Amino acid sequence: MDFVASLGLILPELILSLTGLVLLLVAAWAGDKASSAISVAGCVALGACFFLVARTVCAGASGPDTVAFFGQFRADAFAGFAKLMIYAASGAALVVAPAFFGRTGQMKAEYPVLILFATVGMSLMVSAGDLLTLYIGLEMNSLSAYVLAAFLRNDSRSSEAGLKYFVLGALASGILLFGMSLTYGFTGTTSFEGIRAAVGDGLNGGTLFGLVFVFAGLAFKISAVPFHMWTPDVYEGAPTPVTAFFASAPKVAAVALATRVAIEAFGSQADAWRQVVIFAALASIVVGALGAIGQSNIKRLLAYSSINNVGFILIGLACATPKGVSALLVYLAIYVAMTVGSFVAVLMMRAEDGTPIEGIADLAGLSRTRPALAWCLAMLMFSLAGIPPLFGFWGKFVVFQAAVQANLVALAAIGIAASVIGAFYYIKIVKIMFFDEPADTIRGKSDWAHWALLAISAIVVSPLGYLLTAWLGKLADGAAAALFLLA
Amino acid sequence: MVDLEQYLPILIFLLIAGGLSAAFVFLPMGVARLTGTHNPSAEKLSEYECGFPAFEDPRSQFDVRFYLIAILFIIFDLEAAFLFPWAVSLDLTGWPGWITMMVFLFELAVGLAYAWKKGALEWE
Amino acid sequence: MIGIEHFVVVSSILFVLGVLGIFLNRKNVIVILMAIELILLSVNINFVAFSAFLGDLTGQIFAMFVLTVAAGEAAIGLAILVIYFRGRGTIAVDSVDRLKG
Repeated sequence: MDFVASLGLILPELILSLTGLVLLLVAAWAGDKASSAISVAGCVALGACFFLVARTVCAGASGPDTVAFFGQFRADAFAGFAKLMIYAASGAALVVAPAFFGRTGQMKAEYPVLILFATVGMSLMVSAGDLLTLYIGLEMNSLSAYVLAAFLRNDSRSSEAGLKYFVLGALASGILLFGMSLTYGFTGTTSFEGIRAAVGDGLNGGTLFGLVFVFAGLAFKISAVPFHMWTPDVYEGAPTPVTAFFASAPKVAAVALATRVAIEAFGSQADAWRQVVIFAALASIVVGALGAIGQSNIKRLLAYSSINNVGFILIGLACATPKGVSALLVYLAIYVAMTVGSFVAVLMMRAEDGTPIEGIADLAGLSRTRPALAWCLAMLMFSLAGIPPLFGFWGKFVVFQAAVQANLVALAAIGIAASVIGAFYYIKIVKIMFFDEPADTIRGKSDWAHWALLAISAIVVSPLGYLLTAWLGKLADGAAAALFLLA
Repeated sequence: MVDLEQYLPILIFLLIAGGLSAAFVFLPMGVARLTGTHNPSAEKLSEYECGFPAFEDPRSQFDVRFYLIAILFIIFDLEAAFLFPWAVSLDLTGWPGWITMMVFLFELAVGLAYAWKKGALEWE
Repeated sequence: MIGIEHFVVVSSILFVLGVLGIFLNRKNVIVILMAIELILLSVNINFVAFSAFLGDLTGQIFAMFVLTVAAGEAAIGLAILVIYFRGRGTIAVDSVDRLKG
């Protein structure tokens, strides 16, 4: 594979980086007046990359033709599938921001640039074929994310969220790196392919430690229990568009990355990491469901909801089969739609003068004061709870199906039981919206962009979403096959 | 008989998790109890005899401008570390290596231009 | 004779010291930044030692990247800290409590 062909494979990343650099200079010279133009340019770049990547996903690209830079980078269908979700979620984060920041004149021209750089990092993460690429991608995403969390400079909650996210994120990177250094030392290589060859006939003690440290670091990034403690605080403190971004795109990237490390590098030692993943999955489901009860802030509640959902996603990984990975990807796609939708609904909760409202109590009686918003939010909540006819049920269904086929019946049974506990607090929100006396604090007007995004996600999670199942399943199967072709 | 050795990974994982969570909660408490040093009261903190009240906390007053320069210095200083291995191995990497480094330096230049335009390099 | 295990033991001790430094310190957030740096440098010792031991250059290249990324991380940490200080007027660890949990 020569240099030029490699450059062709990283075309989406090249486009995004170049756009980011150019827009950074535009941001410096044109100032914050140009922020909407920069957002539009960022969306256009993301859209172009979306279509570039969509081609490889539809073709089910796999095999040696997708390997760039001597194995450092993989542009296969699995990476492509994850990138589609990442680009879509990043685009959503760009679209929702102006209405939120603009009200107080805090829409800085750097916001879209940071989102673009974070997206480049996530692109690298999901395409990593080597521990070095993995680390660079992860840090590129994290460094932009720390700044985004502290983006509201005058809001002390935002800067505190940024500080917390930074400290715990850096600790996670440290743990991950320590694991990588052990893995390198005891296998003698950093490429996934080399590691797979080295661990083919069993793990030695050092590699085992390395593997567990790497998974602990990745668990931090996907906020799986027991490394979830930062999530509610950061989600609450960060500006809501940034929270919507954190809950969707970086989570997709980290899950896809963990899957690739697990299957491609350590696929032959699935028994060693499976128990870790199963533990993290069950603990996330239970802690996510129990922690959400008693929250009074909707962003904290959605943070616990995302922890809960990560648990279900990890069940797909625990299968370690193509079916399981395909289920994981389908679940992720539905999860992104649900999360973006829910956070857009949170963004639309505003008082008459436009100040954002985050209390769950303020939702009371929303069905009478703002029926359209209430119905959309109710649908999203039922979908997150996994109640049938809504599309969220399909994600849980395919994951449990894959678990049963992989002889993890007990895991599936516990997961189903725990999802019933989880349903409680989603239904509580619906009850507050539909049966309580109206609090009538949410009166602010909503931006058309918010309505559009909310409508799109509501349509996706509605029973109409089932029209997508065949197509989504086929793409996910192709992506999973590309991942397992090498393993 | 269950082979306990197969559960080693989860044991390590739980040790990391438990260790970190316990460290979060108990270590500060334990250290505070053991040392018992940090226990200020109005009496202890007041100035002794003829000492007069301090004007300000001696530790926290640092000009933010120093931080700004320090931040820029760390980045541009350490990124230059890539130049050394690149320079000694240019005969092996050839034109692709040269072009890659020029791209990298261009990116640094973009960063510098941004910082300059934003006024981060001005002292006043 | 100093073998590879000595290096690994030293780096493990530094790593644990760094992690403890994050949790134990109750005074100043700057100390946390130093602890993070200590963690990353302990990883670097690992990489360089393994690299020399294996006769493979990858580890040293990795160490270069870790070094530069650590610089970026420290810079961003300091920047966030400055913003935090401006808003709160203190950088004591105990004051990071506005978000419960």
